Amino acid sequence: MKENSFSISVRSDNRTIVSTDFFPVYQNEITFLFGESGIGKSVLSKSVYGLLDPEGLEIVINNKPYGLHLNNHWTKQVRKNSFFVFQEPSSHLNPLMTIKDQLNEGSLGGLEDREILSYLWQSSGDESVRKIIDIFPKPYRPSGGEKQRILLAMAFKRINALIQKDNPDEPSFFVFDEPTGSLDNNYRDLFINLLFSKFRACPFTIQIITHDYSIISEIYRSHKDLLRYIHFKELSRISDTQVRVDDFSPREYLSWLNAPKNHKADKSLHDTVLEVNPHFEIFGKSLSVFSDESLSEPAPLIIRKGEMVYLKAPSGVGKTTLAKIIMGLYKADKFRMSLCGLKVSQRSSPSVWQNKIWGKRAGMVFQHADEALNLESTVKETFKGLPLKIRINTETLQNKLLELFDPPVTKQFINKKVKYLSGGQKQRLNLLRTLILTPDLIILDEPLNGLDFNSVRKVLSLLDEKRALGSALLMISHNEEIFENFIDRRHIYHLNTTS
Amino acid sequence: MKTEKRSFLLSIFLNKDHRWAMIWVLGVAVLGIWDIMFLNKPALLRVTNGFINTIIICLLVVIFTLILSWGLTLGLHFFQYRKIRSGYIVLTFILNLVRSVPQIIGVLLSYVIIAALITRGWIGGAGVFVLMAFCMSVFIFMEMVDLMRERISHFTKLDFYNAMKVCGISEKRIINSDILWKNSRIHIFNKLISVFGSAVFLQCSVDFIISVGLSTGVNTVSMPVTLGSLLAKMDSKQDILAIGNTLFNPGYLPQLFMQHLQGLTVAFLIVFSLFCIYSISNGYAERHRL
Repeated sequence: MKENSFSISVRSDNRTIVSTDFFPVYQNEITFLFGESGIGKSVLSKSVYGLLDPEGLEIVINNKPYGLHLNNHWTKQVRKNSFFVFQEPSSHLNPLMTIKDQLNEGSLGGLEDREILSYLWQSSGDESVRKIIDIFPKPYRPSGGEKQRILLAMAFKRINALIQKDNPDEPSFFVFDEPTGSLDNNYRDLFINLLFSKFRACPFTIQIITHDYSIISEIYRSHKDLLRYIHFKELSRISDTQVRVDDFSPREYLSWLNAPKNHKADKSLHDTVLEVNPHFEIFGKSLSVFSDESLSEPAPLIIRKGEMVYLKAPSGVGKTTLAKIIMGLYKADKFRMSLCGLKVSQRSSPSVWQNKIWGKRAGMVFQHADEALNLESTVKETFKGLPLKIRINTETLQNKLLELFDPPVTKQFINKKVKYLSGGQKQRLNLLRTLILTPDLIILDEPLNGLDFNSVRKVLSLLDEKRALGSALLMISHNEEIFENFIDRRHIYHLNTTS
Repeated sequence: MKTEKRSFLLSIFLNKDHRWAMIWVLGVAVLGIWDIMFLNKPALLRVTNGFINTIIICLLVVIFTLILSWGLTLGLHFFQYRKIRSGYIVLTFILNLVRSVPQIIGVLLSYVIIAALITRGWIGGAGVFVLMAFCMSVFIFMEMVDLMRERISHFTKLDFYNAMKVCGISEKRIINSDILWKNSRIHIFNKLISVFGSAVFLQCSVDFIISVGLSTGVNTVSMPVTLGSLLAKMDSKQDILAIGNTLFNPGYLPQLFMQHLQGLTVAFLIVFSLFCIYSISNGYAERHRL
């Protein structure tokens, strides 16, 4: 095993953005890099790859200026042979060029892509793929998942070119930054299968940055033979700006996942908190809730006191929309629900939610913490104005924050502006703002977004505590593996469109 | 202590708004010293009073503008939020009515009323300052209302507004504290600097017009002396003519700074202050990337 290790420091305006003494790149092996959102995974990988714009930044790699790193042989070879798949596929594609032209731009030109595209789109014929690549990547077309697969196809073209050279000494560094963020499990597995089959043909250096821990299960299920080439690493914070790369134990994750869960069904208090009619209409679309995976029998969505219910649906069907209808943020064309005995329908006045529901009967955690929090507030101010039964002072707030944040929670931290927190910290704050309340129903939209494994465990255990205390919880998440293991099958509902 | 001093000097050097604020203060101070040395006492007193009065009235305009615009913005928002259509329509109509009156005409008409009130002895002293400032702010504050409403409209479309609402946080708090104070105060402050500049310009213009008009009348009304009214006085007019004369007779230049100081000081204070306020506003907007 050949390892290149880097010490990296990235500063801007006299402020350290991220710094680490050890960032490994294992040559011709596979590294999975986990860690909470905003901790610096992408910045560190981009600096090693040579993608950071030095303008306005002070970047030091292995105690040398960034310019020397960009000009050394390894970096030049890496940039020639490799590919960096960015986290946000939309920002990677040029809206003024067709996708076909972009697939053949620069050094990608002349490389065969038909086989890759057919595989990633699972189509035997050429036509369905051509429909996608002959267009300009304007907004909403192609979809996020398709854009993601286009970027992956570019990376695979470069991988094919590297394999053709058949020179294992040639340095390479293929970085996949959240490559499965917009893919469902089926396409995610296709991508992993193709990547690993290429690796089996000729090993090269792969780094996959992800929050998707369920990828571990897939590897243990289908690619166990590669485990000796795979490194699971996790970026954790030592101080505000200093991070450390630690080993991540996949077995710990798997045993946690497979540990028998105490669903405490008997503790269900049987008082119905929420009952939503199975059929509802909004934006001219008709949607139904089902209690079975085969979507055969529409059923009312019922959540009782002390129950945690998981609402499943393919991306874009309307899970968040239903949550927003329940919370009175969207007005449905046809809808009926009962919340703690309060009957609500599409005809109900907005004042019903304002006076009787928000913060009292129900609360909701929004999906994107970055957008759901006031970034100009401090951590402390985030909790101001909440309808709490007790007055919250610095000490009680510190104790509350300790439920999801590692000690010590200093006064400096609680007076820090939200905009200076990492993505994971923001998400935990976003959760705590609602969980500090005591409404009968709490809706959580993607509560595990951007969290590291440790925080995932803490959040789930906190939610379980809330549930045990009698709260009714409605979970919306794409983390199917985690929630299907965590929640009793009887409490899993499915949402789909109906004609 | 040394570090603080250095960072203060550094901020003046690096930030355009700080630099221009300093230039303004220094410019006025240097002019003040020169005037103390070479301007006769009664004229010096008049200029000093005129400058101070102008600044006080303009600061009052800024305060009234902030209070009026914040209040009306909240009124409009809550009429809209609670779906009180009649209240919303009435308030919008009043606002549009005021908006339809050209600023200078509006202020002139207000001054006519103030002059009448002073003549009848109904107001005097500090009350005149307050009333002058209030009248001027009535014709200036709409721009601030537009800005505040734009900010509220922008933020209410974001998730953070709904996320706070569903947590039970009051609408009043979200609008006042989270949107207007925490997320818009930089924009509001920048607008207030412009309002201050507009007030200086408007006041000088209107006072000049009023003073020229009243000087031909039989009675002068005892309105506060301002830079605008000083400019209209006979001495200042002569001084301004002397500046024009210097353009064709450059040899007269040294005498300008000795013999025509009142008019020169007043003209300089108006132009220099307006230019500095403009630069401060620009610098502030650049520094905060507005």
